[in-house]
Amino acid sequence: MSGQVSGQLELLLQTLISGLLLGGLYSLIGLGMSLIMGVMKIINLAHGELMMIAMYVTFWCFTLAGMDPYVSVLIAFPLLFILGAAIQKFLIAPVMEVESILPENQVLLTVGIGLVLSNLALLAFSADYRSVPVSYASKAIYWDVSVGGQSLSLSFSVPMMVAFGIALVLGASLFLFLARTDLGRMIRATAQDKRAAALMGINTKRITYVTFGLGSALVGAAGSLLVPVYYVFPQIGGPFTLKAFIITVLGGMGNIPGAVLGGVVLGLAEALGSVYVSLGYKDAIGFVIFVLVLIFLPKGILGKGSA
Amino acid sequence: MKTRRLIMVIALLLVAPLLFVPPAAAQDKTFTVGISLPLTGAEAKFGEMKKAAYEMAAAEINAKGGAKGYRIVYDIQDSGAKPETATSIVEKFITINKYPLIVGEYTSQCSYAVAGVAEKYKVPYLVDTGAADKITQQGWKYVYRLNPPSSLYGAGLFTFFEEVAKPQSIALLYENTDFGTSTSKAMQVWCEKKGIKVVLSEGYQAGAVDFKPILQKVKSLRPDIVYMVSYLMDASLLMRQSKELDINPKAFVGGAAGFTLPEFLENAADASEYVMSATLWTPQVKYPGAKEFAENYQKKTGKAPSYHGAEAYATTYVIADVLKRTKSLSAEDLRAALAATDMMTAFGPVKFTAFDQFTNQNSMDTLVLQVIKKKYETVWPKSAASGEFVFPFPRWRDRK
Repeated sequence: MSGQVSGQLELLLQTLISGLLLGGLYSLIGLGMSLIMGVMKIINLAHGELMMIAMYVTFWCFTLAGMDPYVSVLIAFPLLFILGAAIQKFLIAPVMEVESILPENQVLLTVGIGLVLSNLALLAFSADYRSVPVSYASKAIYWDVSVGGQSLSLSFSVPMMVAFGIALVLGASLFLFLARTDLGRMIRATAQDKRAAALMGINTKRITYVTFGLGSALVGAAGSLLVPVYYVFPQIGGPFTLKAFIITVLGGMGNIPGAVLGGVVLGLAEALGSVYVSLGYKDAIGFVIFVLVLIFLPKGILGKGSA
Repeated sequence: MKTRRLIMVIALLLVAPLLFVPPAAAQDKTFTVGISLPLTGAEAKFGEMKKAAYEMAAAEINAKGGAKGYRIVYDIQDSGAKPETATSIVEKFITINKYPLIVGEYTSQCSYAVAGVAEKYKVPYLVDTGAADKITQQGWKYVYRLNPPSSLYGAGLFTFFEEVAKPQSIALLYENTDFGTSTSKAMQVWCEKKGIKVVLSEGYQAGAVDFKPILQKVKSLRPDIVYMVSYLMDASLLMRQSKELDINPKAFVGGAAGFTLPEFLENAADASEYVMSATLWTPQVKYPGAKEFAENYQKKTGKAPSYHGAEAYATTYVIADVLKRTKSLSAEDLRAALAATDMMTAFGPVKFTAFDQFTNQNSMDTLVLQVIKKKYETVWPKSAASGEFVFPFPRWRDRK
């Protein structure tokens, strides 16, 4: 094998690795939105802002208490659960009960909540870009493999692998939680048919609090995991809300395994697109896939049957 | 009798307005200048630095009695680096507030948008950071620029490449904005002229989480130089991820902007070491007042200023100079006075001339800086150097 070919192979493999690792993180961001979508049939457009709050929690835990960003997941997760549940209870639920001219009122409300959160953050933390200077931020494990007599050197980013691992654990736990526990079954029942669930004696109102809390907690965890490799500023939420939305649609509105797959697909598409098409069109590639899925697979990549 | 009284009345009426004209040197006169700046959002760091520098300079001038008796007052509004917001802010400045002079903005996109508005309303606009070539290539009469255009940012780098680095190949990564594209284009054109192989020229969208795929491509092409044109956070991430992927060109070189801010050192941490960048100004330049400005700025904000601060600071002194020379405060007279500017500032000489395709354009020498032991040192040209350059860079794995 010539050096040229092995160079190309190395590039391809490295791109797949980067895309996959990033996709793991995207999955976690998408999971929360997908869960909320599944149960409450609304898109939470404050999703990215909730992540931003968790990122600040992580940032301050590190700055003030020297807490490792990965440990602070343990703080961000419950904190965001409470915040999410409170938002649902005191803000969204009252609006959902009112018959309104626009059925999208709740969605508009989440946009408003997002704006308030990002502007509060702006007020409290200023527009500064902050990053957490952990020693392992740019650490990588190098793996030298030899293929056909040519050695390839692949690098695996340590913080991205840790994030991927934790995302995997959280995703799997969520799946088990929904499949095996009573509360999980109640959430699924509410997602399938809210009225029937209520008739079966499920307190659907409480279920929506739990769901919104859980969805927020998941994106909160994703935020904490993102801090070591990225940075945080008050307006960070918007692009990530968009990504979560694409993932949710890719996965098929509310489908949990679908959201995981959607995240990985988006991560890979962005990575491959930026190498083989153009880095400038990275975001456009995500949207092209999004539109294609909407046209040809309206129920998402894992969707089956018709509505 | 009647005619006499009439004449008296007319005479009084003629004299009366003169009595109400305030004395020429009264201290309570103010001259308000409208400034649109990004104070929130991705470019807020640059906006904050410029704001602090504008206010510092205005306070200094006002403390010395102002310019020709006028206190300089700034009306600073936040554009969030959005051209549409900048446009409406400046429209308001001109049509409602009736400010006869506009300065400010940070990104090239915003500066270009504001320039269009100023030209439309025939109000002079002094650009002091927006660097895309096209801003002063439109033949606009009311648009003046203090900073050199981006195609000349690299002038210092070019001589460094020619005399020291002598690269065979170069990879260009740039943010696909007006500034990024035009700065990178200038480098590309120069390299092609000099026979340096451009192995990659890739624009990217700001705010990406993961540059690794494209950096991996850079790695596989093994260029001598990696040249990047980025704002702050992208610059930090590019360097962190280059370190992670163990990319070892002879030098990483930035095209000013994000690579010159103190925050770059904080965010990129040890990945910023040895990184070089083109720059227009450093605290070590020999212009009168530069050192004092840098010291005072450091004292006031706790951070060292980059060229962005020096631009804003110098702009204020240009305004003071214009006020001293202008015939009146009408937009037309201010423009004429601005056009005739020929002075020295802490940022360098300011004189607006026409050359190549530019009009009303200031020009100056540019420098090269390098991060050495977590500090910015001016390393090129030799005459302005404050430190010895390190070239080629040691490999990442060989650093302690």
